[in-house]
Amino acid sequence: MNTYEVFLKKAGKEPFSHAGSFDAPDSELALLYARETYGRRGEGDQMWVVDRANLLIADQDDLAMADRVHKHNDGQLLAELRRSGRGKAT
Amino acid sequence: MRNWRNIGEFEDFLDDGGIVEPNDDIPDPYRKAVFRFIEMHANSEYMGGLTERDWIPKAPGLHRKMTALAKSQDEIGHAHLLYMVAADLGIKTREEMVTDLLEGRTHFHNVFHYRVHSWTDQIAVAYLVDAAALASQQAVFKNCSYGPYKRILRRVIVEEGFHMRNGEEMMLLMARGTDVQHQMMQESINRWWLPSIQLFGPDSKPDDELLRWHIKSERNEDLRDRYVQKFVPQLLAGGFTIPDQDLRQDNENGKWKISDIDWQPLMDTMRNIGPDSSRRISDAKRAWYDAEWVRTALDDATKAQA
Repeated sequence: MNTYEVFLKKAGKEPFSHAGSFDAPDSELALLYARETYGRRGEGDQMWVVDRANLLIADQDDLAMADRVHKHNDGQLLAELRRSGRGKAT
Repeated sequence: MRNWRNIGEFEDFLDDGGIVEPNDDIPDPYRKAVFRFIEMHANSEYMGGLTERDWIPKAPGLHRKMTALAKSQDEIGHAHLLYMVAADLGIKTREEMVTDLLEGRTHFHNVFHYRVHSWTDQIAVAYLVDAAALASQQAVFKNCSYGPYKRILRRVIVEEGFHMRNGEEMMLLMARGTDVQHQMMQESINRWWLPSIQLFGPDSKPDDELLRWHIKSERNEDLRDRYVQKFVPQLLAGGFTIPDQDLRQDNENGKWKISDIDWQPLMDTMRNIGPDSSRRISDAKRAWYDAEWVRTALDDATKAQA
């Protein structure tokens, strides 16, 4: 048995999202099980099924390091500037 | 991998609404507690699904048979999803969990230790028991600190809602049916009221670790009380009586108060010595070994592909 991960996409602009996992012996049955386990009531109109062994999992610390303060602007200074001084909308 | 220096730091993380993921360095006591909880839930879905299955051929009419079929698939499906989530905690494999259940080494909800005598019993299970189970699952879902469990509960709850609507619909049909149907429904309510109430368990202890670690978010007695307040009026409206001689309504706040609960029946089910425990377990065991050939065929298919 292999463990598979299921991703479902609802109609429209929603991105694919993780639905859950299950075990199946091969890819043909994996698609059948995925549909019967996660898609019985119109939960999505598209489905991706991935063998867990083929998932690449990013290191969480590396992921956290990619996030830097200079990549955000909390808008505080901007709000202050807008509230006061030269350039203030009248 | 996220880690915490000690349990205190971990508890602060949980108190701040932190969500634990399987690849975290999960403190052992938490891992064990959340595993036990999910395993018990999975076992209960499995045992419930098998009972539901028993009623597919006996359900009256094609529509009810098809509904029973869909419900059986849901319940077994829930067991499947929950066993996957539990197995990812790395304590037992799915097969070990099933074996422990079938050998009577682990537990499942009290309500599945009783015999379902009639079709109206099955309605009472769908109406009273499923509602009690759903209420406790919703309370876990609301604030559960273990991410994979919380996410899978969303799905379980949607499907349980379908079961509950079926249950209430069938109960109301019986309530408005013939005298014989009404009487049969009453007898089933008499049998299933107390087990449903007991499903919530005795009052939560002040130091309940499931509450402290935000696995559960509400106290047993609060859930039980809310259930009573909802179901007593519904049953009375259906022209039924509640099998509780001391049941009374508070004159001031209108709240229903049930009599003190004898917890011995619940304790018996927790030791797998309830009224129908041994038949249920041996039935599940037979079903498991009858399907052995399917598992063997699947394993062979895996090997052939490899």
